[in-house]
Amino acid sequence: MADSATERRRSGSVAETAGPAAGGEASGGETSPGRGSSPGNGTPPDAAAGARSALRRSRRLRLALQAGVLVVVLLAWWLVTAVQLVPPLYLPSPGAVWHAFVQANTCRPIAEGLSRTVCGEQNYYLWEHLVASLQRIGVGVGAAIVLGLVAGFLLGSSRWLQVAFEPYLNFLRALPPLGYIGLLIVWLGIGDTSKFVLLFLAAFPPIVIATIQGVAGVSEDRVNAARALGASRGQIARFVVLPSSLPNIFSGVRIAAGFAWTTVVAAELNNGIPGIGGLAYLSGTQLNTPLTIACIITIGLVAVALDAIIVRLGRLLVPWQGKA
Amino acid sequence: MSRPAQHTGDAEGGRPPWAGATDSGASAAGAASAGSAETRPTESADPRSPGAADPRSPGAADAPARNEATPTRELVLDRISHHYVTDAGNVVHAVEETSLQIPAGQFVCVVGPSGCGKTTLLKMLAGFLAPSGGEARYGSEVITGPSHQRGVVFQQANLYPWLTIRGNVELGPRFRRVPRRERAERTDRLLEMVGLPQFAGAKPYELSGGMQQRAQIARVLANQPDVVLMDEPFGALDALTRERLQADLLRIQRQRRQTVFFITHSVEEAVFLGDRVLVMSPRPGRIVLDERVDLASTYGPEVGAEMKSTPEFIEIRDRVAGAIQVG
Repeated sequence: MADSATERRRSGSVAETAGPAAGGEASGGETSPGRGSSPGNGTPPDAAAGARSALRRSRRLRLALQAGVLVVVLLAWWLVTAVQLVPPLYLPSPGAVWHAFVQANTCRPIAEGLSRTVCGEQNYYLWEHLVASLQRIGVGVGAAIVLGLVAGFLLGSSRWLQVAFEPYLNFLRALPPLGYIGLLIVWLGIGDTSKFVLLFLAAFPPIVIATIQGVAGVSEDRVNAARALGASRGQIARFVVLPSSLPNIFSGVRIAAGFAWTTVVAAELNNGIPGIGGLAYLSGTQLNTPLTIACIITIGLVAVALDAIIVRLGRLLVPWQGKA
Repeated sequence: MSRPAQHTGDAEGGRPPWAGATDSGASAAGAASAGSAETRPTESADPRSPGAADPRSPGAADAPARNEATPTRELVLDRISHHYVTDAGNVVHAVEETSLQIPAGQFVCVVGPSGCGKTTLLKMLAGFLAPSGGEARYGSEVITGPSHQRGVVFQQANLYPWLTIRGNVELGPRFRRVPRRERAERTDRLLEMVGLPQFAGAKPYELSGGMQQRAQIARVLANQPDVVLMDEPFGALDALTRERLQADLLRIQRQRRQTVFFITHSVEEAVFLGDRVLVMSPRPGRIVLDERVDLASTYGPEVGAEMKSTPEFIEIRDRVAGAIQVG
């Protein structure tokens, strides 16, 4: 009975060994320092503090490395343009891109000395273009998450459904969005509907496939344990299968969101203003390369930030990943 | 539905007969098997009841008397067999026609070499696996699927990492819509019983293997099952933890006399825990020895680890070990 003392000690050592493991995980992104603490807190405080400071040190080192590379890249860019190695039309200087970025977010006189002003680009500020695109991605990916989860659950729990429909899923996954946007416009018009549908079709397959893998991968014992506890089918789906497949679902959503960004330009090729993809494309056709590059960098940064948010959300909702 | 013979001193008078469980699930079960409404005294007055031996769980000993009834239905394997076809097209006979009767309240241990069909047998009793021939019955009901009345303890704790220990333990009652208050009360009592009250809020992966296994046992007992099927529950534990959990299990089982079907690799464990030890042959699995263990009648109810060095224990152990053929 009273072996909890020894077991607590052991759980302490487990917490200790979990320290470096958490550090390994941290290389993927960030860590919350208090995470390693367990209720059986057997880790000596100085050891924990040491591990934490080592973690902080390695994180600082990583940041420094990344900042260093960024500086080198920017310098090289600036140098190439400063010595006119490439004509500015092909590669504008960092300063020109920054100017385009600022101009796209502010109002300016139509011409020198005039009081009438023009604001942003194509009558919208850059952030308004960005928000418009984010909304489209939100609708498309959001619908893909809802329907993808349902479809993934159905296909994952029925072998026959999976056999019947998986080929179509792989077919859809392989299609380049640029290829069928024209068709969608013919079917659904040039408004937002065709854009939503395009983004949905791009985001749907990765989510379904990941969900199928998650659902099919739930261990039999886990399900049997619930059945023997008196769970109904619905309860098993809700209490066992769904949480079990959450890690897979999150990686599916991540891939889908990334794919949606690559698709947003295709979606906004026609009638895509406001929209950051549309603006990038339009400015390119107008040879406004600084603005194109400003749009591209904005898209990239926002995509990275969104991805980081999804990863963090995943950590928050699936704290057991890699531990059980 | 005859009352099974029991070899313990359960005839202690004075306890009120079972007057209906408060648990909705259990009462539904009682109604389903009209025969089981027969009353029998509870066992908490059993001198063996080791509640006293464990001062840390004062609530545990009197709990069964409050709202739990002693199980009355027997488990029957009626010429049951199981075979399956491998990917290569070969038919494998996992279990050969086997018949077995387990009276309510008996602690049955099954030993045998790996792959002899012990787990297949358990899965058929649990209702996870349909037999190829014959049937398994619980009382008069043919087993066709899992039920909360037949709890299953797996070798791996299988706790759900997205729930706390408390969340895991109260999962069964939650599935069966036991009112929140009763659920909480029951969970508290069980966590106390298995010695994990201070870990109620912990996540399973923060616990050691032995503690996880205790939590799993508590989770199964939270449903107040009449039958507990255990598939090498202590197989992955170190010797010390294992011995402690064995003692805990015996103590718990003697409080309420659940029927236990316990699979193990260890002959010593089987003879120590079981009222009855079954030996299975290598595949196709058959029962080759059915040994009754009744050391309590010689050595009294206070059995502990020291029992393992008595001549009777050694004799039975050797007989069981001799019957095991390695396949």
